[in-house]
Amino acid sequence: MSREGRVVLALGRRALSVQFRRAQLLLPTFVLPLMLLAVIASGTSAAQGLRGFPDVASYLAFVLPGTIIQGALLAGLTSGIALAADIEFGFFDRLLAAPVRRTSLVIGRQAGTLGLSMLQSAFFLAVAFAFGARYPGGLGGMLAAVALAAITAIGIGGLASAIALRTGSLSLLQSIFPFVFVLLFTAPAFFPRDLLAPALRDVAPYNPLTYVVEAVRGLLQDDAGLGDPLEGLLAAVLLAVATTALATLALKERLRTL
Amino acid sequence: MSALPVALVLWRRSLNEVLRVRGALLPATIAPVVFMLGISGQFGRLTGLEGFPTDSYLSWIVPLSCLQGAGFAGAATGSNLARDIEQGWFDRLLVAPVPRPLLVIGPILGGVTRSLVPASVVLIVGLALGAELTGGVPGLIALYVACIGFCTAAGLWGVFMAVTFRTQQAGPLMQQGVFLAVFLSTAYTPEVLLRGWLEGVAEYNPVTYVLELARQATVSGIEPSFAHTWPGLLALTGMCAALGALALTGLRRMDR
Repeated sequence: MSREGRVVLALGRRALSVQFRRAQLLLPTFVLPLMLLAVIASGTSAAQGLRGFPDVASYLAFVLPGTIIQGALLAGLTSGIALAADIEFGFFDRLLAAPVRRTSLVIGRQAGTLGLSMLQSAFFLAVAFAFGARYPGGLGGMLAAVALAAITAIGIGGLASAIALRTGSLSLLQSIFPFVFVLLFTAPAFFPRDLLAPALRDVAPYNPLTYVVEAVRGLLQDDAGLGDPLEGLLAAVLLAVATTALATLALKERLRTL
Repeated sequence: MSALPVALVLWRRSLNEVLRVRGALLPATIAPVVFMLGISGQFGRLTGLEGFPTDSYLSWIVPLSCLQGAGFAGAATGSNLARDIEQGWFDRLLVAPVPRPLLVIGPILGGVTRSLVPASVVLIVGLALGAELTGGVPGLIALYVACIGFCTAAGLWGVFMAVTFRTQQAGPLMQQGVFLAVFLSTAYTPEVLLRGWLEGVAEYNPVTYVLELARQATVSGIEPSFAHTWPGLLALTGMCAALGALALTGLRRMDR
């Protein structure tokens, strides 16, 4: 493995270690989405009786893609928060002095986000399965859903990292938490797109997460009518490429002004 | 030293944290608004189900989001106290010749005052977007009583967690406690439409009754009446008494 590859791997492992050694970080990324899933699945399952609601075997499995994407959003945001903490407490300056490519520092952080998101999605799928969710898409559908969520997490991680690099402010990153939910709620995360409120239905096509969450739903249910996997992949990849480029530009700008 | 001035000074100090730190209230205010708009946009069609007591889902969700905002403002009291404990400021207060409960009454009063901001912003945004104030002034009073009472309970919960763990790292636990209490209730749908385990949990969750108290303001099917009011008041009294006892026990333990 090349030296830069080892750097990316080491930084990715460090990002994951930090996540798992601080329980207060695990709570929002692993527990909060599951709690919301449990409440939504039980609290709104009567919605299956609405006219126009797709015929699905398990309501829990229908709303699960919203939880998976929520997890991806939180994994990405956590990555930005951790980077802001590194900047504020001086660790990032020490990394900058290391004889490695600067872009490896961004990609290394993103590698940690990728790993965290994959673990999260697998955990959510397993817990939901234990509580009765079934995935007609089989193992292939589950793996593809995990991969889509991981690419999305990189996309959000890139955005959060760009903000962290631009501002270097931990408190700012912590306070953008509610805005992450704007992205989630303007996509058909827990309800079919046709049954969303009219204003939300009009906004949803402009949110890349719409295509990702529908694709995850289609993959898990093995029903392309619920979501096109290719559209989801395209949206997730475009988001990840665009925001990683933004983060790299923000890093260059930071180095220029140092 | 008499009791009232001490509580008032500590109340004013906790308010200064908001007045002097720019944007301190912004996340706590925006989060419930985002949740309100998102949830009503996602699940708005649920009002078409038989048994739903209003045809406006926004009217159903506004009181929930007001309580959520008030609850988070209350839990923040615990986070601030944990910070004071960690940084040694609270130790200096403990040696002051004042009764221990006064040291937390001030910050809780501050939390209650702060909670009026998110609760009012949520209500104004909700009404501007089409929620109906079907309960008039009595309903509005019921909503604010519910918010103030719930904020007090959340504040006592936060204090209990702060004096127990004595670290700011317990902050997420304080917030999650409020989150759980609010959502394990009739948050999204009325009791008749709940399915599975949540149906049983919501029935025994006191927040279900606090929500019923608050929903007298905006839900046409829950008109202001004594029958919709007393269970909520009883639930708030019980929650504050139980959590207050826990907080005081924790405070006494700090002395040892």
